Amino acid sequence: MTELPLSGVRVCDLTWVIAGPTATRILADFGAEVIRVEHGQAADPIRFGRPIAGERPTLNNSGFFNYFNRNKKSVLLNVRHPLGMEVLHRLIAVSDVVIENFSSGVLESWGLDYEAMRAINPRVISCSISGFGHTGRDRRFTTWGPTAQALSGLTLMSGLPGKPPAGWGYSYLDHTAGYYAAIAVMMALHHRNRTGEGQAIDIAQVETGMVLTGPAVLDFTVNGRSWLREGMPPGNRAWEPRIAPHNTYPCAGEDRWVAIAVRNDTEWEAMRRAMGEAGWAADARFAANAGRLAHEDELDARIAEWTRERDAYAVMQALQAAGVPAGVCQTAGDRVERDPQLQARGWWTSMPHPELGESGFDGVAPRLSRTPGTNRTASPLMGEHTFEVMTGTLGMSADEYAEREAMGVFM
Amino acid sequence: MSGPLAGLRVLELCGPMGQYAGKLLGDMGADVVKVEPPDGGEARRVGPFADDVPGPDRSLSFWYWNTNKRSTVLDFDREEDRETWRRLVSAADIVIEDRRPGELDAAGMGYAAAAPGNPGLIWCAITPFGQDGPWAQFSATDMVSLALGGAMMMNGYDPEDAPGAPPMRGHGDQGYATGCHYAVQGILAALLWRGRTGEGQFIDCSVHEAVSSTTEVALPYWFTQQVNVIRQTGRHAAASRTERWLQRAADGRWTLIFGVGRDNASWKRIKEWFQSKGFGRQFDAPRFDDPAARQPGRGSPEAAEIFAELQKFIAAHPAEEVYRGGQERRQAWGVVRSPEENLADPHWEDRGFWVEVEGEGREGQPVRMPGAPYRFSATPWALRRPAPKLGEHTAEVLREWLGFET
Repeated sequence: MTELPLSGVRVCDLTWVIAGPTATRILADFGAEVIRVEHGQAADPIRFGRPIAGERPTLNNSGFFNYFNRNKKSVLLNVRHPLGMEVLHRLIAVSDVVIENFSSGVLESWGLDYEAMRAINPRVISCSISGFGHTGRDRRFTTWGPTAQALSGLTLMSGLPGKPPAGWGYSYLDHTAGYYAAIAVMMALHHRNRTGEGQAIDIAQVETGMVLTGPAVLDFTVNGRSWLREGMPPGNRAWEPRIAPHNTYPCAGEDRWVAIAVRNDTEWEAMRRAMGEAGWAADARFAANAGRLAHEDELDARIAEWTRERDAYAVMQALQAAGVPAGVCQTAGDRVERDPQLQARGWWTSMPHPELGESGFDGVAPRLSRTPGTNRTASPLMGEHTFEVMTGTLGMSADEYAEREAMGVFM
Repeated sequence: MSGPLAGLRVLELCGPMGQYAGKLLGDMGADVVKVEPPDGGEARRVGPFADDVPGPDRSLSFWYWNTNKRSTVLDFDREEDRETWRRLVSAADIVIEDRRPGELDAAGMGYAAAAPGNPGLIWCAITPFGQDGPWAQFSATDMVSLALGGAMMMNGYDPEDAPGAPPMRGHGDQGYATGCHYAVQGILAALLWRGRTGEGQFIDCSVHEAVSSTTEVALPYWFTQQVNVIRQTGRHAAASRTERWLQRAADGRWTLIFGVGRDNASWKRIKEWFQSKGFGRQFDAPRFDDPAARQPGRGSPEAAEIFAELQKFIAAHPAEEVYRGGQERRQAWGVVRSPEENLADPHWEDRGFWVEVEGEGREGQPVRMPGAPYRFSATPWALRRPAPKLGEHTAEVLREWLGFET
């Protein structure tokens, strides 16, 4: 197998749902051996998550699970059985990283806080993702992605003025908490490679959203301004820097939109020419940014008149050719089937899966010239690698395995 | 204790798109030098500004995204300064830049020129669309990247809330942040490779690809069923319409509620809470005892009744009380806060989340802003210095990195 940046790094992956598996997907893409520890009596709910192939969930036919769990192994382990817990200890002993995203307190209840893990494996890097972290008065509170988005301020920062928050139509902070966990683990590996020292990492999902609101917080602590004021959030108009036009505009077809951002007067001139030098656009009120901002309603309405009859990709192409930032609001189908950039860069691929067939995947971002991350296998079936890991990685004899299996350890 | 990246030299040539990558490395101990044009460039022109007075050292956006960096001014119109850039590159472990593809190479200032003399160099180029392909030279802003990457088509409104509303962009430069999250993942992977082999490499980070890999269920739905999800107000885009999550509380604020009493233990806690406030008296009827009947989306009369009673309950209580009451009964409920409202939540104080900085206009009057996204037990995140003033460290950096006498 090609050597990758994380080749030789073993991850004991106790994660489930999305945030944790996002982190281990990244580590796996870059070559880590990620071993998902799964439980028959408490399966990862995403194994039942739609979309699925066929009529009903089978644990192994979720396209949702498949997407977040490529390149990983899966073992079944009954941690409620004393011998199952013993196996988990053995796995921790031979792992570089242990990562989990249970609610704060769960792993402690298993007797596996960081100190206990360190007693098993003094060099271990332990990474935990929870809603509110492992310290603080509300550490027992729990989150889903949308909870964390709401609390952090990110939900409020998306929407039209005078309307309910639009928020995020997906768990942005499940991705993002996973990104921070992958970053943290790799930083800790770098430190350990230099010093031999492992450590514990505590990630609170709400904080991973709060760190993405820095300028808004400073606008309050310095200037006393809140996003709760009248006129906020400003829809797709610009907050800072205040520029116009900056919005989404309707295009020909059903629910087709193009985003256009004019950053300065030069780009406005370019856009004016790209629109065929319509008479209205020559109005002196629109010549400078301050004027365009002052007459933003009229400006947006005029631009929408121009875009409405046109194909969204044609508008984007015409404006980009003139040097104006513009982009189609693309669906997933657009990205996979139509986006010429992603296609030219070979972004899409597929890997065989027993129940999903040739299942689609995206590539690995970013692209490393010498050791790019790779797509090697689709997601593992539930417990697919139990025997391999027990007899190979942990060195159990076939008899030992069979004995434990009969005792219900691997379920 | 110092950060895990202590001792690494990072050279950053970034505006608003790429600058968070440098902060993420600097906050964990790397020595990050931000090279800036004499006027400071775009990053210092993004508001809001301290007291609304523009100025290169007054951008609050700059204060936030540029902590733990030093500023060195170079004028690339002068050959002397272009040469200084090349020498700084040769002294760096990592370069992060967000110029157009090919721009630095054309001036002999890019990776192609630097790599032969610095084989361990890790060079990360953050661009809107990547180094090649038909859109490589196209321009983007944060919104344009969120549009093309698919994020916006998942965010928006139910038709009854805002008929004909466009897809929505979440604010705060989240597309840029996502690009930087991926850039740093790549840099660290490359760093681990270098630790084993001594070999550096070039990293091509496309914000478009980063955002496109950050859209959760959208791609799985397309790959599995060739279905595009639809936008809904304040909740997940889905293949078909689902139950609402946002409910307005007595104080006019929004709560985020999903799933009530999935298991019998939590249902009992919620029921007792409601009944103690005079709501949900009918919940004692045995037909509410079945967890399946209580779940939204099943279309059962019990689920509909619970939902209606929940709305009445929330409408009669302040949002924060609903949030805390739900959480205390182990429901992952939330309240829609404005970012600064977390300043008043003592939990973050307990965790020491906030950090304080001073800047032009607030000298001697530290102000709070967000701190660490992660807690490391051995090598913690630390605010060692606030964002630099323009050119504050030019002489110091040239002396330390290049041995220039001044």
